This record gives sequence, C-alpha cells and structure tokens, in this order.
Amino acid sequence: MNRLKIISGHLCPGGTSSELRRDLRSSEAGSAARGSGEEVVVVHGRRTAIGKAKRGGFKDATPDELLSAVMTAVLTDVGLKPDKLGDICVGNVLQPGAGVLMARVAHFLSGFPETVPVYTVNRQCSSGLQAILNIAGTIRSGTIDLGLACGVESMSLRSMTDPGDLSSSLTENPKARDCLVPMGITSENVAERYGVSREKQDAFAVSSQNKAARAQNSGRFDPEIVPVTVRFLDDTGAERQVTVSKDEGVRPGTTLAGLSKLRPAFKPDGTTTAGNSSQVSDGAAAVLLGRRSAVEALGLPVLGVLRSSAVVGVPPDVMGIGPAFAIPEALWRAGLSVDDVDVFEINEAFASQAVYCVEKLGIPPEKVNPNGGAIALGHPLGCTGARQVVTLLNELRRRGQRAYGVVSMCIGTGMGAAAVFEYLGP
Amino acid sequence: MMMTMKVFQTPARHGYAVEASPFLPSRAACAASQFYGITGSGSLLVLDQTDTGVVLVRSWAWGDGLFDVAWSEANEHVLVAGGGDGSLQLWDTANQHAPLRVAKEHTQEVYAVDWSQTRGENLIVSGSWDGTARVWDLTLSASLSTLRGHEGVVYSTIWSPHIPACFASASGDGTLRIWDVKAAACRLAIPAHKAEILSCDWCKYDQNIVATGSVDCSVCVWDLRNVRQPVSQLLGHTYAIRRVKFSPFSQTVLASCSYDFSVRFWDFSRKQPLLDSVEHHSEFVCGLDFNLHVPNQVLDCSWDETVKIYSPACLSAGTNTAAP
Repeated sequence: MNRLKIISGHLCPGGTSSELRRDLRSSEAGSAARGSGEEVVVVHGRRTAIGKAKRGGFKDATPDELLSAVMTAVLTDVGLKPDKLGDICVGNVLQPGAGVLMARVAHFLSGFPETVPVYTVNRQCSSGLQAILNIAGTIRSGTIDLGLACGVESMSLRSMTDPGDLSSSLTENPKARDCLVPMGITSENVAERYGVSREKQDAFAVSSQNKAARAQNSGRFDPEIVPVTVRFLDDTGAERQVTVSKDEGVRPGTTLAGLSKLRPAFKPDGTTTAGNSSQVSDGAAAVLLGRRSAVEALGLPVLGVLRSSAVVGVPPDVMGIGPAFAIPEALWRAGLSVDDVDVFEINEAFASQAVYCVEKLGIPPEKVNPNGGAIALGHPLGCTGARQVVTLLNELRRRGQRAYGVVSMCIGTGMGAAAVFEYLGP
Repeated sequence: MMMTMKVFQTPARHGYAVEASPFLPSRAACAASQFYGITGSGSLLVLDQTDTGVVLVRSWAWGDGLFDVAWSEANEHVLVAGGGDGSLQLWDTANQHAPLRVAKEHTQEVYAVDWSQTRGENLIVSGSWDGTARVWDLTLSASLSTLRGHEGVVYSTIWSPHIPACFASASGDGTLRIWDVKAAACRLAIPAHKAEILSCDWCKYDQNIVATGSVDCSVCVWDLRNVRQPVSQLLGHTYAIRRVKFSPFSQTVLASCSYDFSVRFWDFSRKQPLLDSVEHHSEFVCGLDFNLHVPNQVLDCSWDETVKIYSPACLSAGTNTAAP
C-alpha cells in the first residue's frame, strides 16, 4: 500500500485519498465490498408521467392502475418472469394503511402470481425511496435475490387532511405539537429562520421549470415514462379513455416576473407560493433491484449500484432541512464528498428548503435536479423517491460516464433521507 | 519557571515513535525513518539523558522504515520495533550488530508494537496495515494468534495495563476494538470516529477508560461500559492526531501529538480540558511518551529530526493549572 497516499489521507481526509476511504468504509456502510457479487444493484426502473391532481389525466385513475402499469413495464422491459421476485415493497402515503390492499390488487392486475408477496411502507415523502431501501436490506440480509420496489400516489382521490387518532397530551410536548404544523408553514419557518428570500425561492422555481421544460422538449424523460391509458371524466361527465405520457406540471413559459406576482399561499406575509412549492400530483414508479451475483446469473443488466443510504431526524417545525443532514451522512457512509457526486436529485417540496439545503451543503447549482424537480414535475408523495431514482439513473446513463448520484428528500414530522447510487458506465 | 528542554538531533531521520524505558529513568528509544518514512531505511536509536542533554547509546539501521518501538517489560536491554517491510525485530542493547530475531508475518507495514505489562504475562502485540493484529511471545517465534476484524489498516495496538490478554486497537475503519487474546475474539467494536483513528491508549488508573485520537482532529475518551457517547471529546488540534498517551501519574490527564506540529496536554475531568499546547516542533509530531520515573516528564519526536525531552509547566504545577 502506498505510504504517501495513507499519510495524505491523514492530512486531507476525503480529499486525495477518497478512494481509499471509500474502500475502508464500504463494509461499515452495510454494503458489500466493491465489485463483489454481494452488492445491491438497480437493474431497471420506470415511472408513469406525473399528472396534475384533480385536474390532470390521472384524476379519475386509481393508484392500483398506475402502479400496475409500472410494475408490468419494468419486468416486461427486462424479460423477467414475476415469479423470480422474492418480495415487492410499495411506498404510499395517503391510502388507508399505506395501501396494503391497493398494492396487492395492483400485483394481481399486473398478472403476478399469488406466490410472490407484497407489502407497503409509509415514510411520508421518502416512501418511494424507503421501499428501495427495504428491498435492498432484504437482499443484503440474504433473504431474497431479487425484489421490486415501487412508489405510488393518487392525490386526486385522497387528501392529506386526516391526522388519525392522537393523544390530547401532544399539546404539552412542543416537538409532538410541531408535528402538526402544516407543511407550508414549515416552509415559511425555514425561509424565516435561515433567511431564504422570496427572490431566491422564485429564482429556484423558475430554474426548475425551465430545466424540466428543456428535458421534456428534448425527450429526456421518454425512456423512463410508461404511457398509461386510463378512464377520464370530462367536464360534461362523459367518460373517455386518455393516454398520459407527458408530465403535466411543466410550464415552459414560467418567468420570474410571473412568479413574483403570486400571493403567499400559507400566511399573508409569507414567501411560499403555489409557484415555488411542489405540485399536488398523481403518479407511480417501480425499480427492480437485485443482488449483483443473482442479477448477473440471470443475464440482467446493471443500471446502478446502491452505495449507501441514510435517514436522519431533524426538528419537525423545519422538516425541510432534512436533506442538509441526510446527504452528508449518506456520503460519509459511502466514503464520498459532495465533489465526488455528479448529480443530486433533491426533492423540491418547497423552494425554501431546497435552496437552504443546496447552499448549506455547498452543492454547485448545476448539479442539482438537472431535469427539474417537484416544483415543475409534481410531487406524488409516495411515488417521489422511486421516481427520483429512475430519473437520476436515466440521467447518469444519458451522460454515459461512470458517476455517482444522490437522491434525497425532506420528510414531514422532521426527517431527511438520502441514498447514493453509482452508475458504472456504458 | 523556565521549562528546561533537552534536544537530540536525528539528522536525516524523521521521528515516528519515542518510548521511555520502564527500567532506567534516563533511557529512551526512538524509531525513525529516512525520507519521512515514505521510502528508504530506518533507524532505531537508544538514547540516554545526561545532566545537560541527550546522548546516543546505540543505534541500529534497518532496511526499511521503522514506525514504532516498545521496550521489554521483562528485560531492560531488550526492545521490539515494527517496520515498513512488515517485520518485527527484537533488539538487545548488548548486541550492537544484528537483531536477536526478526519475525515477518505481516504482509504490510507494521505501524504499532506493544509489550504487555500485566503480571505473569510476557506478550507482544503488533498492528499492521494488512488489517490484522498479531500476538507474539517474548522470543518472537511464530505468532501465537492473528486477530482479524478491522476493515481498514491498523494503526495502533495497546495492551490493557489491567486486564490480562486484552488489548485495544485503532484503525482506519473508524473503529476502536477491544480484543480478548485468550478467546482470539473481538469483544467490542466501537465506531468511535467518523474518520480514521490513528492512535489509542488505556487509562492507567481505570480499566474501563480508553482514549482515541483521530484524523477528525478530536481526541475522545471512552468508558467501555457505555460506548454510546464518549466521556469526553477534546477539541483543539487543527490536523489529524497522531498519538495519544495517558499520564502514568494522573487518572484524567493525557497528551496528544498531531500533524498540526503541536503537543497538547488535557485533563478530561475539567470543564476547560486543554491544559496547554506545546508548539516546539516545525514538522509533524508522531512520537510521544511520558517518563514513568520522572513525574510529568514528556518525550516527543517529530519529522523535524529532533527528539525533545521536557517537563511542561502545566503538568508540573501542583494544581494542574494552565497558567505559568
């Protein structure tokens, strides 16, 4: 081993010797040694277009239909029989019980055999990513070889109003009480506490819209989107079939002047508006994961390798800062620094929190959401994490070079999640 | 009071370790290497303090860099050194030509050697960049045991002064590990730092207390009965900490030396734990030890080609105050 490299590593940890540190860390991060057959890899992923809730093409579609479309597409694309799946995990937020029934129905609508199990997970806005991490963990434990991780949400058919059954004593506990702060107010809190101006938020939103419009026009999303044909009731109440294949939230002509005219949405003197917040949406995404040795034995492709992940807690009343804490933790576990990463997919719940996290971590803006984020594309809660992974790996593949990417999001009630993926090159 | 300082020059040899003899109050050994230990040969020096300075008693050359040295706890003439070629060498001050024995089992640099102090035991432990620690008997014949578990290079291996057949190790994998040699097993793996750990040492008065020094610039003091949080985190160094040593005279005093050229003295029981920062070197300070016989006397060595022996005022003052 090179002594100079080791000593340099003492002086500049993460710098000249980041490769070494990565090797040292890999087992600690819970992932297998690099290049061994034990790594958890992403084989393939697809998503639906993201519809505008209550108005868009998916407003009358049920989540099991959206979910079934992506589940089927992923396996069909790679020619894998569904009985090879060891488990299926579906992220969902708004369906009762995180949609356990809906998920099993989607499973059968996809023609999957009853012998394959399915379950759901709800970690709010990270549910789609959590589904991936759950399947990855099951693979890593040796329980299964291949699994499907999905995320789905219909915000047309369900809303975020019911808090469930809670103790009255929560009012005496400040942190517990903060869990009930509306999401828009948490955004205002972040903007106020960390000084994120309305101008910065609007500028970030315009950038998201423009990047998304450019990506859409150049067809960048086409390989990842599964067109879905669904029932649609028009204004007269007449039923017809529509095929949705484009994200509906993208507004190509968005300008700073236009956004600056919008009124604050959550409090009169606030800075968070409908234009600089994520959109309410419908959509689904699915990602096929496997143990590298099993994936290679079946002759399946390797789209990316899951290098590390982290979920951390933050104060509930500024939940949007989650990525600023989760990303460094995940990078550390992977033995990487911000400089080592080419693309960050950070969910744009609100421009306030996204701007804060990007500035806090010193991420160059051009690395963040190169194809736009939830402000332009929409944020179907339980779907988002899986959608981001699909978009990230699609983008890294388009660039055609070995690179690292990060997916991260904030989580209501005060958490952040992040995962590091490596695209291995063509 | 002026601090008297004795200096020994090691021309063209860059100091990696200095250890005071457990038998002779004036004697010390220094492991040093040519070309900063990156390449070239090594030297093992035996030094004696005189009234006015430090004189060379014996020196041996070795074909590769030497990174650590330990005195025998059984024989005042014998010492063991670890080298860049993966070897351990047993040296006798009565024999000026060749080592008594050379053991080469490690496949990479040996960065740590220690001789056990517990009664009825006479064992050597070595830590290597090959990721293993090995335990040897005092003749340095074939190793008795190989301890595997670290996921990175091993930088430091130190016998517990209290618990028989127990040593601690610090590694580039960010963990401190506690080993039971009789069972050949790792008893505790503590994710002590989110960075490489270059050094560890045991408290001489409490068998549960261990300190770690890390690339993250912090020294952490751990109580092995509850490792969720360090007992104390000592902040102040501005570069990686190369070695930590507990005082043989005070339960809560320890010293650390660093790539920031400084040696710092700490009392972790105090609210303001930093007692003093000694900045008398012009290069990385890699070697550090307390003299067992002369209370509060400290030895250190640096890549600036000097070994320095001194009694820092902060330790000599009865109250341990940092003020002169």
